Amino acid sequence: MFFHIVLERNMQLHPRHFGRDLRDKLVAKLMKDVEGTCSGRHGFVVAITGIEHVGKGLIRDGTGFVTFPVKYQCVVFRPFKGEILEAVVTMVNKMGFFAEAGPVQIFVSNHLIPDDMEFQSGDMPNYTTSDGSVKIQKDSEVRLKIIGTRVDATEIFCIGTIKDDFLGVISDPGSTS
Amino acid sequence: MDELRRTLSELKHLRRASIEKDMCTHPGVIGGLCIRCGQKVDDQSGVAFGYIHKDLRLGNDEVARIRKRDFKNLLRQKKLYLVLDLDHTLLNSTRLLDITPEEEYLRSQTHALQEPLKGSLFRLDYLHMLTKLRPFVRTFLKEASNLFEMYIYTMGERAYAMEMAKLLDPENVHFNSKVIAQGDCTQRHQKGLDVVLGHESAVLILDDTEPVWVKHKDNLILMERYNFFASSCRQFGFNCKSLSELKSDESEADGALATVLEVLKQIHGMFFDQKLGDNLVDRDVRKVLKTVRMEVLKGCKLVFSRVFPTKFQAEKHQLWKMAEQLGALCTTELDPSVTHVVSTDAGTEKSHWAVREKRFLVHPRWIEAANYLWQKQPEENFPVKQTKSQL
Repeated sequence: MFFHIVLERNMQLHPRHFGRDLRDKLVAKLMKDVEGTCSGRHGFVVAITGIEHVGKGLIRDGTGFVTFPVKYQCVVFRPFKGEILEAVVTMVNKMGFFAEAGPVQIFVSNHLIPDDMEFQSGDMPNYTTSDGSVKIQKDSEVRLKIIGTRVDATEIFCIGTIKDDFLGVISDPGSTS
Repeated sequence: MDELRRTLSELKHLRRASIEKDMCTHPGVIGGLCIRCGQKVDDQSGVAFGYIHKDLRLGNDEVARIRKRDFKNLLRQKKLYLVLDLDHTLLNSTRLLDITPEEEYLRSQTHALQEPLKGSLFRLDYLHMLTKLRPFVRTFLKEASNLFEMYIYTMGERAYAMEMAKLLDPENVHFNSKVIAQGDCTQRHQKGLDVVLGHESAVLILDDTEPVWVKHKDNLILMERYNFFASSCRQFGFNCKSLSELKSDESEADGALATVLEVLKQIHGMFFDQKLGDNLVDRDVRKVLKTVRMEVLKGCKLVFSRVFPTKFQAEKHQLWKMAEQLGALCTTELDPSVTHVVSTDAGTEKSHWAVREKRFLVHPRWIEAANYLWQKQPEENFPVKQTKSQL
């Protein structure tokens, strides 16, 4: 799920950046440091939408660096257990398949794929129903439910299932749309 | 009243869900989460399958379950498993700084990495290597893929393994999630089928090195080493000029890969033979391999002369065992039923006997050739020289 929240961060700036463009340089550094990172609490920071407030800078003793407390608005993405998401399949193998929903990678093991879907190996490995009507392969879109998440500094990893009602393939990559 | 009933049923549902979760046996763990219930699991038991995903571990029961299901799937497609070694089996690599002056011409003959389907010599600058694919390898992979699900299993590092897989399989059709490297081995310096998701009774291995497959000797088809570069020849103690220095190469149509492909087709055909009647699931490819091997020197009775060191127990010698595996009868004493005398010296008593009685007198390399070429070779191609005898 996406959230638009306000976060705060202490930014350290080297004296070489002081001058007319100080604030711009501060914002640029903030974007470089924060966009694309993850935290357990907020999830994945997708983009900074605005700066709410930049506090007074404090010079650190011993060095010339100055610390500015910055309050900023940003869009974050955090998957929750029980959440239903749409994702794109990136890899299929005999263990299950991997899918991506934005920055989040989700693994759906064959324990959590309906029993009537069998793995077919070949040059385009896929899971197909016995009558061939439903197929999950690379680039298929699926709706899945998250049943476990793990967040570390650079990525979010989830376990998902498609075994419940209304979950499964949304669209076939081969079909016309 | 309705509210109460609704709350009770919700509670029952939650209780059932929590019991299900507590009862989960955590068959496998990926990224620290159970693949079945999603809970955080700290378990380090089971086997790591780092080549499928860097953080994947599977319990033994789960591995058995997957193997069983996958095997049934493969049998339906009439396929078996084939594990392929890289170095000296499918290709030969050398470091750029090991290139000899006579190999310098190769630098200008490399093909673009973006066009891996053309040509067989590639330069990988970031790995500082030159790689030469063995002749016939592309045809081999294409034909073998119709009969086998294939794995790459190398003692090289993962980065190297992935680059080689890209050269051999640019469209990622054959080896998707099936490239096993040194870091995936569960035992140091040993390759094992424990990280291969296939029943041992249905796996064949192609490798030029026997000692790494101690636990699975019966699944192994030993390949003749492909030494294209001078550095490889040096590595194995050969002082002659390498194929690259001679501007020559292994024959495409008669080479090791073409030969072994025919053997694989034969084994595959025998395994899936309908006439045998019994259940496919109960068949064992190792037995078929043994049977095919026993045909090579069937009908030959061998006596060895000046091949084994004195006081060495003959039956324990590698050549004796190799000959027996190929279907020959080996014996230590001459008798009228002996067909071949294997000798390194034409001046011995046994060698003279062979010439006198018009039996074959062959050099031990005749046995090795039969082992690599899967066919009895013409005996006249392996003559024995007379060394200066003490007489």
